[in-house]
Amino acid sequence: MTILQAKDVVKSFGQTPALRGASMTVRQGEILAVMGPSGSGKSTLLHCLAGILVPDEGEIWFDGQRLDTTTDEHRSELRRDRFGFVFQTGQLVPELTAEENAALPLLLGGARRAPAIAEARAWFGRLGLDGLEQRRSGELSGGQAQRLALARGLVTGPQVLFADEPTGSLDSVSGEIVMNLLTAAVREQGTTVVLVTHDARVAAYADREIIVRDGTVSTLTGVQP
Amino acid sequence: MIPLSLRLTVQGGREAVVRLVLLVLAVGLGTGLLLAAIAGINAVNTQNQASAWLWTGNQVEPAGPPAAGNARLWWHISADMFAGQSITRVDVAATGAAAPVPPGIARDPGPGQYYASPALAALLRGKPADELADRYPGRLAGTIGEAALPSPASLVIIVGHTPAQLARTSYTVPVTAIASTWPGGFARRFNPHGLSIGPPVQQLNASGTDLVLSVVALAILTPVLIFIATATRLSAARREQRFAAMRLVGATRRQISMIAAVESTVAAAGGMAIGFGLFFLLRVPLASIPFTGEPFFPAQMSLSVLDIVAVAAGIPVAAAVAARFALRRVQISPLGVARRGTPKPPAAWRLIPLLAGVSELSFFVVHGRPATVSGQVQAYFPGILLVVIGLIVAGPWLTMTAARFLARRARRPGALVAARRLADDPHAAFRAISGLVLALFVTTVAVALLSTNDATKTHRDQTVPAANVLTDQLTGAGDLWYSGLPAAPPPTSVPWLARVRGIGGVTGVVEVYADAKLTIRPNPHGAQVSAGLVSCAQLAKVPSLGRCPAGAAVAGFPVALNTVQAGTIGNITWPAEPVPAQRLPGRGVDALNVATNGSQQAIERARTVLASAYPLLAPPQTIGEQIAQNNAVNDAYQQLTDVVILTSLVVAGCTLAASIAAGLADRKRPFSMLRLTGARLGTLRRVVVLESAVPLLAVAVVAIGAGFAAAALYASSEMKHSLVPPGAGYYLFTAAGIAMCLVIIAATFPLLRRITGPEVARNE
Repeated sequence: MTILQAKDVVKSFGQTPALRGASMTVRQGEILAVMGPSGSGKSTLLHCLAGILVPDEGEIWFDGQRLDTTTDEHRSELRRDRFGFVFQTGQLVPELTAEENAALPLLLGGARRAPAIAEARAWFGRLGLDGLEQRRSGELSGGQAQRLALARGLVTGPQVLFADEPTGSLDSVSGEIVMNLLTAAVREQGTTVVLVTHDARVAAYADREIIVRDGTVSTLTGVQP
Repeated sequence: MIPLSLRLTVQGGREAVVRLVLLVLAVGLGTGLLLAAIAGINAVNTQNQASAWLWTGNQVEPAGPPAAGNARLWWHISADMFAGQSITRVDVAATGAAAPVPPGIARDPGPGQYYASPALAALLRGKPADELADRYPGRLAGTIGEAALPSPASLVIIVGHTPAQLARTSYTVPVTAIASTWPGGFARRFNPHGLSIGPPVQQLNASGTDLVLSVVALAILTPVLIFIATATRLSAARREQRFAAMRLVGATRRQISMIAAVESTVAAAGGMAIGFGLFFLLRVPLASIPFTGEPFFPAQMSLSVLDIVAVAAGIPVAAAVAARFALRRVQISPLGVARRGTPKPPAAWRLIPLLAGVSELSFFVVHGRPATVSGQVQAYFPGILLVVIGLIVAGPWLTMTAARFLARRARRPGALVAARRLADDPHAAFRAISGLVLALFVTTVAVALLSTNDATKTHRDQTVPAANVLTDQLTGAGDLWYSGLPAAPPPTSVPWLARVRGIGGVTGVVEVYADAKLTIRPNPHGAQVSAGLVSCAQLAKVPSLGRCPAGAAVAGFPVALNTVQAGTIGNITWPAEPVPAQRLPGRGVDALNVATNGSQQAIERARTVLASAYPLLAPPQTIGEQIAQNNAVNDAYQQLTDVVILTSLVVAGCTLAASIAAGLADRKRPFSMLRLTGARLGTLRRVVVLESAVPLLAVAVVAIGAGFAAAALYASSEMKHSLVPPGAGYYLFTAAGIAMCLVIIAATFPLLRRITGPEVARNE
């Protein structure tokens, strides 16, 4: 069953085209790797699928509802309640402790602090972050920060987790740990994952791959897009 | 959401706390100054109101006998002096028990009694009677209460007489009520049945003072507002990064606005508390500063409930609105602000307000100034305001132009980086130095105008002996003539003159004998003034008052020396008059000039003798006192200007420091990366210096030029005088201000070294 779909999506930044009619689908529960060289438009495609960017042309569908024409407010709510995110860097709020960072989507959704923190802490043990609850983001290693971002991405039990180069700033060992934890958690929860990477080793964790080249989805492996 | 916002505000790490503390201090400073300005305006109005009763006699009095149950009070007001301070003297005589009673005393003083203000009572007790108390017949019956005193330093005395003593003397009127409202100024012949003179110590015109204080408040508050805006931008990049991260995980725009509003409101609330604390702490010392020539009672520096509510509610609301407005300028997407385009470069239209301001002022040079004071205020205030706004609006364009010029000429990497950054965001660069630019403009205008105004006032270049000459008109002059009664003829004999001559320290007396038709022109380019005749033998003993032509026995001499605006009096040769010296005594004496050695004892003793002899005439004043009185307003404005300049300079210095620190904090990663790649610390220092110095120097030149232009245009149309260049003090001050900026910039070098260490390059 298709949970996410892009239809002929076009997106430009000023005079620079990033997507030139990209189409693809994501099935519920699968881990989809989006690959491609730098500047091919794969991150832009992810941002459009997640409602972060609004395409200039084309359509984005999520769970039967059109995403590109809905309000910014509604897209914010979707990101908070039904999507999760793990990006390469710059995603943690430096002023908050690790446990507050993990609980942030719940707090933004109106949850009370104590239960939100308790729910977030449950992920610390599973992701090997025990003892780091009170640390600030600047006091964490790169791998710890990415695992914390993963905890935050999964704390609301999202339907889709968007991961953009989640191991891009990590060494191979740390990257492997993060990917193992990520895949284990999403498989356990039945979460769909859209994983942008240019690393074949990371893509190997996916059920399926698509390749973005020059702003279009040009090559597929596995089943059809 | 509010608890999360509060936690982010107060527990957001060192940078957030520094930002919060600076914001609180900036808002506190602004609030304190705002409250002081409001309380100052209230104090001036209260002070004016407290002096309303001194305008009794100017009111319209009904003709005919007083109504049943009412009695008249004979009223006479005059000026006196002691040691350079004005004394308001009110002589009264009640015609019955129902006669009106001035405020501050329980009943009218009877013959042989007087009431004095506490300050004057202290002088009466502390000084020898022949220097002060002997001027007032009778004994002290009590002190005048605060309700009747504009200031704790007010010297006021109410002297009692019998109706027969006062009735039908010059400048005395009967009244049936004490004035309770301040007339807002003196209108000539305001009451055909009353006095046409006002009290000797007239308060400043309320609306004029409000305007001056408003301009002062604006001149001080503008740098404070710029400081607040700069403090708000502290760690802006990090803050925007945090907001972007929150947007990524689902925070709505409204939630981000809420967080920003809570941050600003917390700072505003804290600042407001500090501001109120500062105000109440400094209220008493502030009240003692004689902004209007006299200090205030602390109670006069008060705030109404409405003032307090308006400030307490207005500042947090304004802060929340400002925070929301600031966020509107930044597109915070879940991907951060990295995709925000480079701000549009400022366009040349930004020069239009500045040119419009200068043109507006030029208009009145060509077409002449408006006739009324309010018309002049309406004419010049918008022009000067336009120039101020024009400088702020044009600043970024001037900065960009200077930066582009620097970029073309740059040969070293430091200059190139600084020039590119300035050209990329000239708004931010100008914001850092805008407070200083305004301070320079205000200083230039104020100093240039005060120098010019100084040149139009009575010359201060009298010799010390001349300044110590006590001059006394024994007949009325000018406004004092009008009283509904014929003026008293000049006295032909002055038997007490021997007593004056006998006072130790009196070095000579020059009598000015009456000549009703004589006028002279002391200055070839000046006006004709009323004159009398002096004996050249007497004048020869007082060389500080000039000389007769060789061989002359009698010369023409001004009746009132304060009408002479001809430089040093001692250098004047007065015109000879063909009158035999022996005939002079028969003409009556119009005025006396008593030369003293300058000791307060000699001056006050002589003044006491003269004032006692003619208690109902204007008392004698030294030439020095007259000069001081003529220049009192100028001196008060000079004092106010110094306060404004110093305050705005200090605040502008804080703004510059905060701004440089904010710029460094925001760029610590790129700077540390530059150092990692081999850039020397000296290169980064050059970048920091140039980023502030280039816009400062570029815009300062324009600000100083605009200041001189505005002052010259104002002086030309309003004062009818070409601009007088300020003295060396101004140039020293300007150089010191720019040097202070360089010191502030240099003070951030240790921070630059600390935050660009290699360890900063690690991932945060």
